[in-house]
Amino acid sequence: MKFLESTGRYFMLLGRVFSRPEKFYVYYRQTMKEFELLGINSIGIVVVISVFMGAVIALQTAYNTENPIYPAYLIGLGTRDMIILEFSSTMVALILAGKVGSSIASEIGTMRVTEQIDALEIMGVNSASYLILPKLVATLIFNPFLTLISIIVGIFGGWFAGTAAGVITSESFIYGIQYAFIPYYITYSLIKTVVFAFIIATVSGFQGYIVSGGSLDVGRASTKAVVYSCILILLFNVILTQLLLS
Amino acid sequence: MIKVSNLSKIFNGTTVLDDISVTFEPGITNLVIGKSGSGKTVLLKTVVGLLEPDMGDIWYDDIHFSELSSADKKPVRQKMGMLFQGSALFDSLTVEENIMFPLNMFTRKGMKEKRERVNFCLQRVNIKNANKMYPSELSGGMQKRVAIARAIVLNPGYLFCDEPNSGLDPKTALLIDELIKELTDEYNMTTIVNTHDMNSVMEIGEKVIFISRGIKCWEGSNKDILESDNETLNDFVFANSLAKKIRAEMQKKNPTS
Repeated sequence: MKFLESTGRYFMLLGRVFSRPEKFYVYYRQTMKEFELLGINSIGIVVVISVFMGAVIALQTAYNTENPIYPAYLIGLGTRDMIILEFSSTMVALILAGKVGSSIASEIGTMRVTEQIDALEIMGVNSASYLILPKLVATLIFNPFLTLISIIVGIFGGWFAGTAAGVITSESFIYGIQYAFIPYYITYSLIKTVVFAFIIATVSGFQGYIVSGGSLDVGRASTKAVVYSCILILLFNVILTQLLLS
Repeated sequence: MIKVSNLSKIFNGTTVLDDISVTFEPGITNLVIGKSGSGKTVLLKTVVGLLEPDMGDIWYDDIHFSELSSADKKPVRQKMGMLFQGSALFDSLTVEENIMFPLNMFTRKGMKEKRERVNFCLQRVNIKNANKMYPSELSGGMQKRVAIARAIVLNPGYLFCDEPNSGLDPKTALLIDELIKELTDEYNMTTIVNTHDMNSVMEIGEKVIFISRGIKCWEGSNKDILESDNETLNDFVFANSLAKKIRAEMQKKNPTS
């Protein structure tokens, strides 16, 4: 019953988020701020995680395909496909759910318990739209770039680790990442990224917006935002994979 | 003028406001007093529309506010200014940006005009050289004054203050009270102040409404509050030793009171 009530309130909040902004210029400026806070500030963590995961994927593929019947370029091909299909969209989304999701929920939750949201409402501002829409737009636009950065850096990490450890030559790895490349996989990955960005921004925004109480409740809302976002990302990963790759 | 008639609010089966009727006059400071948990904040939040009443009507001049849809309430809300208990300044914005926020949202003024208006409001609340500071860098009293500046930036017709003196020392509290009174007179606003501070009541309580357990128990002015024979009110007013001494002095002077 509580689940149905929460779901209903989530969709009602979305209705308010997508209502017409009071002033486009103010929303535009707020969106630009969110690009920096939620997008540009996430590049570092995405690069670090991608380079190491790319390295680990390349090495694990190499150590599990030592049989001579497998061509060496398979390491490059395997690294490329794993990174594009799963890692750069889903794994990065899970990490961003932790970083960006908790930030959104705690920011909005703190505004709720310190009556800043009430102050917006008193002024006649649609607080749901003003607080959540710029974050949503920023993540929807910027997260695909983060995914592309993750793909490039992840493949580079795989190449670096593979050649540095001597498990594959540079030529074989580069041949592998070009072999049987299907451009649609990039589209598939970006579609997933956009859906996951929507989940992160709206679920975290909702959890922050409905907070009542004090700082402990803000902490709880932040944890809930991460947990629910991750579960929904994993659920939609299955659904989208079936829909887009079947 | 704000008129509230037969207002009731119920939370989870508990009646928090019970059949309250009162008229808040413009140009004077209307104080709502009562113990913590008596329903003052719920009354204020219901009057401004943050909470929906379960029964009763709210009128802003000739507008039937409680009957309006959320969209129709917006123009009325733009005439409201509110000072919250914790100031509710936006943490991520500077003092100047906080005060400029309503101007950015609801006016088409240029940056120069907006800056002039912000500086005028800051001057009006006696704050200097704080335009670029963030709320966290200000003292509690300064935060309240900045919040007042933000509340008056659009020349509101209605000013609401929820416990404006909470957390302030007596001297700063007095300054805030005086500022609220001056602004009310200056702009002829309908001002409602929630408080349980008797100093405020005696300083600025031109009209005082006493609420206990969600029921309006008494209405009058600061001049007649000390002479009331309402037991519940006296229980609240003479709760501290200073007030008890004042009453004893009064009774000495006039044994019949």
